[in-house]
Amino acid sequence: MSALAMEAGTVLAVDDVHFSWPQRPVLRGLSMRLAEGELYALLGPNGAGKTTLIKAICGRIRPGKGRIRLDGEETASCAVRQRIGLVPQELAVYTHLTPRENLEVFARLAGVARRDVGEAVTRVLQAAMLQERADDLVRTLSGGYQRRVNIAAAILHRPRLLILDEPTVGVDVDARGSIHQVLHNLRAGGMAVLLTTHDLEQAEALSDRVGFLVDGRLADQGTPQQLLKQYFGDARELVLVLRQTPDTAQAEWLREQGLTPARTASTWAGLQPADSGDAEHLSGRLQARGMEVRELRLRQPDLNSLFLKLTGHEAAP
Amino acid sequence: MTLAIFRVMLLNLLRDRGALAMAFLLPPAIFVIFAAIFSGTSGDALELRVHLADTVQSERTQQLTQTLREQSGMRIVGSADAPEASVREAVRDATADAGIVIRGSLQGRPDAGQPPILIIGDQGRAMAAAMVMGQVQNALESALPELGVERALGQVQELTGGFTPEQQQRIGRMLAREADLPTEQPRLVGMQELGAEGGADGAVNYYAGAVAVLFLLFSAMQGAVTLIEERQSGVVDRLLLGPGGTRVVVSGKFVFLSVQGTLQVALIFVVAWLAYGLDLPGNLLPWLLTTVVTAMAAAGLALALCAACSTRQQAQNLSTFFVLILSAVGGSMVPRFMMPPWLQELGWLTPNAWAIEAYQGIFWRGEPLDVLALRWAVLAASGLIAFGIALVLSARLARA
Repeated sequence: MSALAMEAGTVLAVDDVHFSWPQRPVLRGLSMRLAEGELYALLGPNGAGKTTLIKAICGRIRPGKGRIRLDGEETASCAVRQRIGLVPQELAVYTHLTPRENLEVFARLAGVARRDVGEAVTRVLQAAMLQERADDLVRTLSGGYQRRVNIAAAILHRPRLLILDEPTVGVDVDARGSIHQVLHNLRAGGMAVLLTTHDLEQAEALSDRVGFLVDGRLADQGTPQQLLKQYFGDARELVLVLRQTPDTAQAEWLREQGLTPARTASTWAGLQPADSGDAEHLSGRLQARGMEVRELRLRQPDLNSLFLKLTGHEAAP
Repeated sequence: MTLAIFRVMLLNLLRDRGALAMAFLLPPAIFVIFAAIFSGTSGDALELRVHLADTVQSERTQQLTQTLREQSGMRIVGSADAPEASVREAVRDATADAGIVIRGSLQGRPDAGQPPILIIGDQGRAMAAAMVMGQVQNALESALPELGVERALGQVQELTGGFTPEQQQRIGRMLAREADLPTEQPRLVGMQELGAEGGADGAVNYYAGAVAVLFLLFSAMQGAVTLIEERQSGVVDRLLLGPGGTRVVVSGKFVFLSVQGTLQVALIFVVAWLAYGLDLPGNLLPWLLTTVVTAMAAAGLALALCAACSTRQQAQNLSTFFVLILSAVGGSMVPRFMMPPWLQELGWLTPNAWAIEAYQGIFWRGEPLDVLALRWAVLAASGLIAFGIALVLSARLARA
């Protein structure tokens, strides 16, 4: 029996998976669960093992140790893997074809019977909100539409698990919103969705659960609210932008206040207890030590704060 | 599923006008150019520019120059009284393909090492000088037949110790054209050119096959590069989860490139039939079989090469290298008979040589089926083996 028991409704079960490239271990005992109708965001710095995990789930690489099961069956089997839909990070469709033509082609390649292709294409065009541009060439579509064609091509065969690798890289805010809507709809339809992203706002807004992958292990996982409460309680995050870079003595004093440099030498951030006083009071103390304040913010910690705490890295912008 | 990939390739081609022109307009156009060039070298269409200078200006030399001016296949350029140095200059700076300088009397025995007629050629156009040499010999024989008689008599006189006074008198009258020269002697060497009965010129025939294979290889390589694009864009990642995997992609491309290649070759041969009289309708079935197996060989090789490359740039560089080498060695650029024997032997390692020989066998030599069958078998087998290699390499690289 696996370390984590298979519960009813579990679509994907990853148990104690290890994988090493010749020079270095990448996955070191990774375990996770993904349930029907659940959207799970896998977060982590570059090189943490996200792509390797996707390859292992899709059967592209064989784990040295551990098991990966879909609906209780090993994904090493071809027939089981056909229940997965993959949305690669690049635009993995034919840009000289229309969305409809692409979907017809990918439906056949995904094993949809010829007589069912028409129905599958209509269903997916609707699910991805592509009907009005279904007959324009993909290369003439905006980034957001192209990304939705990319997603649509992965769900023609009604996969149990949909994997998306950075689905909103390089798209504008409006397009991102429409992609979120598509993913919401798919989740509501009962599909299990696993996505990797550097966009922590997206992860927080979309996901039922997030997992932080650090050095080949899940550092922690849970709902965003639950994790933020667990790590930060009622504390607030102070973000301080100074007009000048602080000198050695000033920097030492800032560290004593629980602040650390963030992004630039004149930006400092850190957690403050809920009763640490108001911003005006703090501003006065800074001025008393010769530091001119350009901006001072007190905010609720978010996944960016948690990412920094768990991985030691700033999340990529 | 293979049809789905075929459809993608077809739409890609139909929607890319540049690729469409490259695939279906360029091959017949290049064939027409090659045919025009090389049919000229073996027929009357070739006209060499020859600078003819007569520094002697005797009755005989004028007779010769007049005959040369009337010869077909040559166009006399430059001034007839130009010095020898000017003729050399004209050949060197390519205002003439060859030069003829008449610099000595055409009477009596010529000095050793100083022939009275000098042909000046350029190493870069060696064939031109040889052709002019033949034209001059021909003109001498027809314009000045007495010259040959004189030379023969001189030799007879040397060997026999001389003629009687009566004989010398008759010879004198004959050479002065007061008596008829002996009727024209039959030539020792005759020439007969063989060709397909009622068919096209041999060079046209050769280059239809040669250009066809060259373009088959080029367009197959261009089509096969999409294999790398699909790997890089993630299409292959997506397809690996499906029931067909990379096998479907490679098979679809193989079928498409074979069909596309067959159409390309058909266009070239239709032009050869309509414009140059190649007997395509009379040899339709063997032609079709040769074309299909040649297209399969080109498609297989292109896919195997692209499956082995990891980037588009790498594939483009390697494919250009291979197509040019295969075409040069296999006879698509220069006729194989002009190559040294070792290079002709090496040519059998290329699909070009097998295809060109198969087409020559059909349209020129009328080869029996058993000879053609060997050529078809080699081409088909090389195509299928290369296709197999492409399948294995694609599956292996996709899993990396």
